[in-house]
Amino acid sequence: MKISLNWLNDFVDLKEISKKENVSSKQELANVLADRLTGVGFEVEEILDCSKHLKNVVVGKILKIEKHKDAERLFVCKVNIGNRDVQIITSATNVFEGALVPVALDGADLANGVKIKTSKIRGELSEGMFCSGEELGISEGFYEGASVNGILIFKDDFGPGAKVEDVLLLDDVVLDVSITPNRPDAMSVVGIAREICAIYRTKILKQDLSYKTTKKSVGNFVSVDDRAFDLCPRYMASAVENVKIERSPLFIRARLFCCDVHPINNIVDITNYVLFEYGQPMHAFDASLLEGKKIVVRRAEAGEEISCLNGNTYKLSNSNLVIADAKKPVVIAGVIGGLNSCINDGTKTVIFESACFERSSIRRTSRAFGVRTDSSARFEKGVDTASQEVGMKRALSLISKLGCGEIAEGIVDERKEEAREREVVVSKNKIDSILGVSVNQKDVKEILESLGIGCKIEGDTLILNVPAFRLDIENDNDVAEEVIRMYGYDIYDNCQKGERKTSETIGKYDPVLKLQREIKGLLIDHGFYEINSYSLVPLNAHEKLGLVNLSEEVVKVKNPFSDELGALRVSLCHNLLTNINYNFNRNNKEIKIYEAGRTFHAKSNPISELPVEKDVLAFASTCSSDDFFTFKGIVENIVSKYDVSFSLKYSSASFLHPGISADLFAGEKLVARFGKINPVVAKNYDVPENIFYGEIFCNEILTLPEKKFEVKKISKFPAVERDLALVVDEAVTVGELENLIRQCSGKYLEELCTFDIYRSKQLEGKKSIAFRIKLISDEKTLSEEDISKIINKILKRAEENFGAKLR
Amino acid sequence: MKEKILEIKKSAEEEIKNVSSLEELNNFRVKYAGKSGLLTEVMRGMRDVPKEERPALGALVNEVRTFVEGEIESLEKKLSLEKLNEKLKGEKIDITEPSKNSERGIFHPIQRTFNKLLDACVAMGFEVVTGPEVELDKYNFELLNVPKDHPARDMQDTFYVTDDIVLRTQTSSVQVRTMENRKPPIKIVSPGKTYRSDSDATHSPVFHQLEGLVVDKDISLLDLKNILTDLLQILFGKETKIRFRPSYFPFTEPSVEVDISCPNCKGEGCYLCKKTGWMELLGAGIVNPKVLENCNIDPKIYSGFAFGFGVDRLTMVMDKIPHMRMLFENDMRFLKQVK
Repeated sequence: MKISLNWLNDFVDLKEISKKENVSSKQELANVLADRLTGVGFEVEEILDCSKHLKNVVVGKILKIEKHKDAERLFVCKVNIGNRDVQIITSATNVFEGALVPVALDGADLANGVKIKTSKIRGELSEGMFCSGEELGISEGFYEGASVNGILIFKDDFGPGAKVEDVLLLDDVVLDVSITPNRPDAMSVVGIAREICAIYRTKILKQDLSYKTTKKSVGNFVSVDDRAFDLCPRYMASAVENVKIERSPLFIRARLFCCDVHPINNIVDITNYVLFEYGQPMHAFDASLLEGKKIVVRRAEAGEEISCLNGNTYKLSNSNLVIADAKKPVVIAGVIGGLNSCINDGTKTVIFESACFERSSIRRTSRAFGVRTDSSARFEKGVDTASQEVGMKRALSLISKLGCGEIAEGIVDERKEEAREREVVVSKNKIDSILGVSVNQKDVKEILESLGIGCKIEGDTLILNVPAFRLDIENDNDVAEEVIRMYGYDIYDNCQKGERKTSETIGKYDPVLKLQREIKGLLIDHGFYEINSYSLVPLNAHEKLGLVNLSEEVVKVKNPFSDELGALRVSLCHNLLTNINYNFNRNNKEIKIYEAGRTFHAKSNPISELPVEKDVLAFASTCSSDDFFTFKGIVENIVSKYDVSFSLKYSSASFLHPGISADLFAGEKLVARFGKINPVVAKNYDVPENIFYGEIFCNEILTLPEKKFEVKKISKFPAVERDLALVVDEAVTVGELENLIRQCSGKYLEELCTFDIYRSKQLEGKKSIAFRIKLISDEKTLSEEDISKIINKILKRAEENFGAKLR
Repeated sequence: MKEKILEIKKSAEEEIKNVSSLEELNNFRVKYAGKSGLLTEVMRGMRDVPKEERPALGALVNEVRTFVEGEIESLEKKLSLEKLNEKLKGEKIDITEPSKNSERGIFHPIQRTFNKLLDACVAMGFEVVTGPEVELDKYNFELLNVPKDHPARDMQDTFYVTDDIVLRTQTSSVQVRTMENRKPPIKIVSPGKTYRSDSDATHSPVFHQLEGLVVDKDISLLDLKNILTDLLQILFGKETKIRFRPSYFPFTEPSVEVDISCPNCKGEGCYLCKKTGWMELLGAGIVNPKVLENCNIDPKIYSGFAFGFGVDRLTMVMDKIPHMRMLFENDMRFLKQVK
């Protein structure tokens, strides 16, 4: 919200405040006000100096124009700037002797970035430059002639030598104030003025809102039928006849211009002026275009259409509130006016609307059509039902003051109920206990009253009279906030730490995060780097991973930035491969990464309930030193503390190599999978094929029982080691032979280790697997006979079952 | 004979001084103590010595032999050690060659911040609670005092899955779920990913929050200040100060922005705090009684406070990371700087 200091000065005695704050310039005052407003909850985001590009620009009267002796296209001008004459060289052709023009003198810093310095142009001294409207940063709407291709010629009779910022009334500083959604009442000059008055405990300056009317009653021009009090609790209308549509006076144009509003004509400018000044959106109709001299507030009928001021035509529905005449919609209520009834150069009679529209309806309509105007922006924050009257009176008083029309007697006022002040009862003790500090009663009363809130004190009870515009004040907490923000939060700066009042509680980690942190520690030891990526992924991410069967599970965002961030991930594999691709493209080739995060799986399609969210920890490596068995080792390490028998199967994951991958099951539960990335998927992500990837399903792991161990006696008899190399076909697996050895050695087996797998031409397509078997007994030293018995049993069974030969 | 023996001893004494290698020592041993060495030879010549002189001479020979063997033994030890040392020197490796499998990975900077925050919070008696990232509108907004079409919805541009299901814009949803299910005292923090559809240079559509909630009897803004001071001092050092500025959040009333004294310059003013000495770090406030009511907690008996950190920004401050995007690009050249 842009607030002009010149405008603010109509409501607050800024001179007085400057004195109090001991500041002399407008800029200094702006800085102080910005700090104060920020201190009470209205953050000032920017301070804009409207005359920044007008410094050292003065009004000049051109006395004489001569051709430059050495330059065909240049003219040498003698210009009076008040107390002296200067020489300016120009190439402009629209200037003439006697013209009043803006002259930028030495030191000026113009809106287009040009900095002015006295210099010689082809041997002739030029002490400055004539300016165009563009160079001054002003628009045609603000000042006629600002857009001509040439120098701006002032139409007003400004005195030579006067500062341009002064004559154009742009000697202003604007505060860009951020207004929080609970304070729509502060979205206006008056609103901010009220806050400033409360800060300085001074009174707001009252404005003269009087105006003269004719004898003709407003009823001759318009009648109002409000058929939707739920969406329009109040609708006021007035009429002005014999209007002359023209430019507004400079002070209105200047203020609007400083607040970034384009001046259009006197009537439209008045509606905007009132909106900025009082926060009440207004609308103006050409009365001759309202059929039946009638205004009907109603829901649109299906099929109705309206062409609006922004050039677009909208198809209306029953959920849109419209202002209509006897036959057709003329405004999308509170949002945008229709072309069919708008003010035009020929308008003779104007109907002003000052209404209150329910905020959520305006918000929905504005969103639905994608139209956001100053009016809709104001309404959707919430307008109270009292400000229509003051808004209307202000508009009419401006008409009267500017003499731009004759006001009919009376104002039509259709409303559901009268806007009243509300009584709110709060407890002083409760306020103190919310704040944790005690503000004395006198200060509380003074603060509330300075905010326009009546305050009666009866013991601990405060009986408040809350004005209609403060819709936000309802309970103890609201009042506590008003008190403390005006009293000042710095009271806490010096508060000593008191006794801790909260109950004793025991801190605790979330089990998933705890598990993940443990696993992360292990991966970090293995050299993996954690990455952090978006859980939003492209719509086709699951397809790139070959997970077409999961299409139904994909959770899509209705209003994404782009298809690239259009869905929630079903696998972290997408993120890790995307990152590997990113790093490969930057010549980072040795990549070991991991990420912990959620994957999302819709339960039904279309989605009607919250999707399943799984906590997954995924890791990947491009390093040649890592292979399937590195990953197997890591996964085994992670699950080793659980008391479950795990089984490995070749993985069913589409993004893994079918023969170099495994799913790890604990019973029926898939707790992890890992393996080499499927070459098709690697190609989809434009990454090398030799990538290993693993994922741990944390929620499943957390359901597993942890191992409990009992310490067993350590045998006092010596252990015996035997190495056994068995030659078998490729199809025979290590796991099968290990199982066989375990069975055969029974209770004597202490350790079994597969320490070598050897392949060579001499073995003719077979492989030799070397096992180290460590045998021990609790009762005796094993004899050579005991050992041979076991070894022979192993050899016999291995040959019978797997055709194994001792190497 | 005696002279001969003494001469042998003398020459042995002389000769061993020049022995400098194990080979030479071996020659020495053969010459003096060997099977046909000088001392053996002398012993053989003992036959020609008169009987009564034999014991004395024998003893002398033995003495010399003991002496020679002793010398040999000690020299052998010395020479072997020298030889071993020589050999070990030859085995010297280049200790600057790269180490094997020693590279340590990292926690991502954002996770490091989370770890620090959560450790501090757990130590202060908070329980860490998580909740769904895809959330019902009810938990993300409505029960938090932000009904549909409320202007406060503009504060958080929201990704929708359906009209009633959103990607959570704040982890406050977890607080609501917790309050619905538990009785006070409640003291929780909820960390996690959050989503908003307003991305620019300083905002990412996916970001991270940590929010805290305390609901108990007689909770005040002063308690909020005390707990946040403790927490921020754990993170940023004992001398850290905090201050409140008024603000607005629909679920707290009063609401405050919390600034901390700049941890970089200790409040002196530097480029990080834009010369103000203070840094805007989190939002907080007293839980709006309407929110307590929505969660079936009686606001007449209980009150609470809540606070929320943007963890990404906090990380940028703590680790002096120049651009938000670096936290999401995961360039290995960036990650490898994090140690």
